[in-house]
Amino acid sequence: MKVTVCIGSSCHIKGSRRVVEQLQYLVKENNLDDKVELCGTFCMGKCQQGVCVTVDDEFHSVTPETVPEFFDKYIKAKV
Amino acid sequence: MIDLCSDIGYKSINHYGEQLCGDHVEIVEPSDDSTVIVLSDGLGSGVKASILSTLTSKIISTMLAEGMSLEECVETIAATLPVCSVRGVAYSTFTIIHLIRNQTAEIIQYDNPHVIAIRDGQIWDYPKTESNIGGKTIYKSSVRLQENDIFIAMSDGCPHAGIGISYNFGWKRDDIAEYMLSASYGGYTAKTLSTMLVDECDRLYEGKPGDDATACVVRIRKRVPMNLLFGPPSNRDESDRMMSLFFSKEGKHIVCGGTTSTIAAKYLRKPLKASLNFEESDIPPTAEIEGVDLVTEGVITINRVLEYAKDYLGDNKLYETWSFKKDGASQISRLLFEEATDINFYVGRAINPAHQNPDLPINFNIKMNLVDQLSKCLIKMGKKIKVSYF
Repeated sequence: MKVTVCIGSSCHIKGSRRVVEQLQYLVKENNLDDKVELCGTFCMGKCQQGVCVTVDDEFHSVTPETVPEFFDKYIKAKV
Repeated sequence: MIDLCSDIGYKSINHYGEQLCGDHVEIVEPSDDSTVIVLSDGLGSGVKASILSTLTSKIISTMLAEGMSLEECVETIAATLPVCSVRGVAYSTFTIIHLIRNQTAEIIQYDNPHVIAIRDGQIWDYPKTESNIGGKTIYKSSVRLQENDIFIAMSDGCPHAGIGISYNFGWKRDDIAEYMLSASYGGYTAKTLSTMLVDECDRLYEGKPGDDATACVVRIRKRVPMNLLFGPPSNRDESDRMMSLFFSKEGKHIVCGGTTSTIAAKYLRKPLKASLNFEESDIPPTAEIEGVDLVTEGVITINRVLEYAKDYLGDNKLYETWSFKKDGASQISRLLFEEATDINFYVGRAINPAHQNPDLPINFNIKMNLVDQLSKCLIKMGKKIKVSYF
């Protein structure tokens, strides 16, 4: 599974760093290192909905506060 | 020889407890191919010394730039400087370095410590002739310039550093020369070299300088072009034209901005690989595109570069941050401040609708303002700047 987080200007200001750090932590804690590939990208063109995250090309709007919920629902449940 | 250029930087520290510096450095470029640098040290310290040295360096630089003779400059200074009520003299020393077409340097010295020259990795005792103008002993030299020549002008606050504290008779000029010689192997910029010298003086004075101390360094180097792309063009149909102009330029290529790097990657038909390493916590990570030397985020990164640029021109305190870190802003700073001499900016004026949110500190005006301010700073660093808008 490939999870891509936008690290462009807009998403950066909206907290993409905290999203990335939480995801990195959750992936490690759940021992999903070999199943989930985390990567970054610049602007996805949907800045208004940031922080922009895609899970295998499926778009999600995430905020630092909703990361645990997002992780359980769209990453952990689907691997 | 035309591809040589000069990198000039200086730094001063004030006499302990003074708000003004009694030393003054003035740099003027009367024409494209000539630069006059004057370092002057006014009698005493504080406001009186500051006025004396500012007047001296301004008068000399302006008159020399207009093509007047040295004799006339010296006479004018003698006739103009206000006489000190305590000491009954009007006195200010000066060192002039006049660079002509970056091929020849004329060095004229009056009562400052002699300019230290470094050539071919050695301390170089360049020829001087002594002459007498209006009762003042003045040393003149004229030297052909070579790549990697370094000239260090200073006020007497440098060799006086540490008198009675660290050294009995201060930091001798020969020892300063040795110190700067070993520093010169590091390939540092003129600003950094002058900072190293003055900071060491400050250390010898134990943070309480007994005199104003100033160092001004001139480094002769080869021209290095650099190109920076920032923002997508206002009309997307212009993208290809903007990219082909940008990538056809000689020198390294830096691409800043998310959308901008996507356009660049598409133009080069190479994948854009963003990293997730937050080297510096509040600067977005960099990315990679084959064929581009550096890919970074846009506004936030450039804003930080501007902060570093302003500091570099002043106290140069953040040098220790950007001189080695791997985040985008530090990398751009090293490329622009240290490596480049000629910088071409390719600035796109597209408005990112997501940035126009009043809650975000990155709207369009701020972006244009950033480029403006950054190019002004770079010009002050002696870089040649060209900005093209799309």
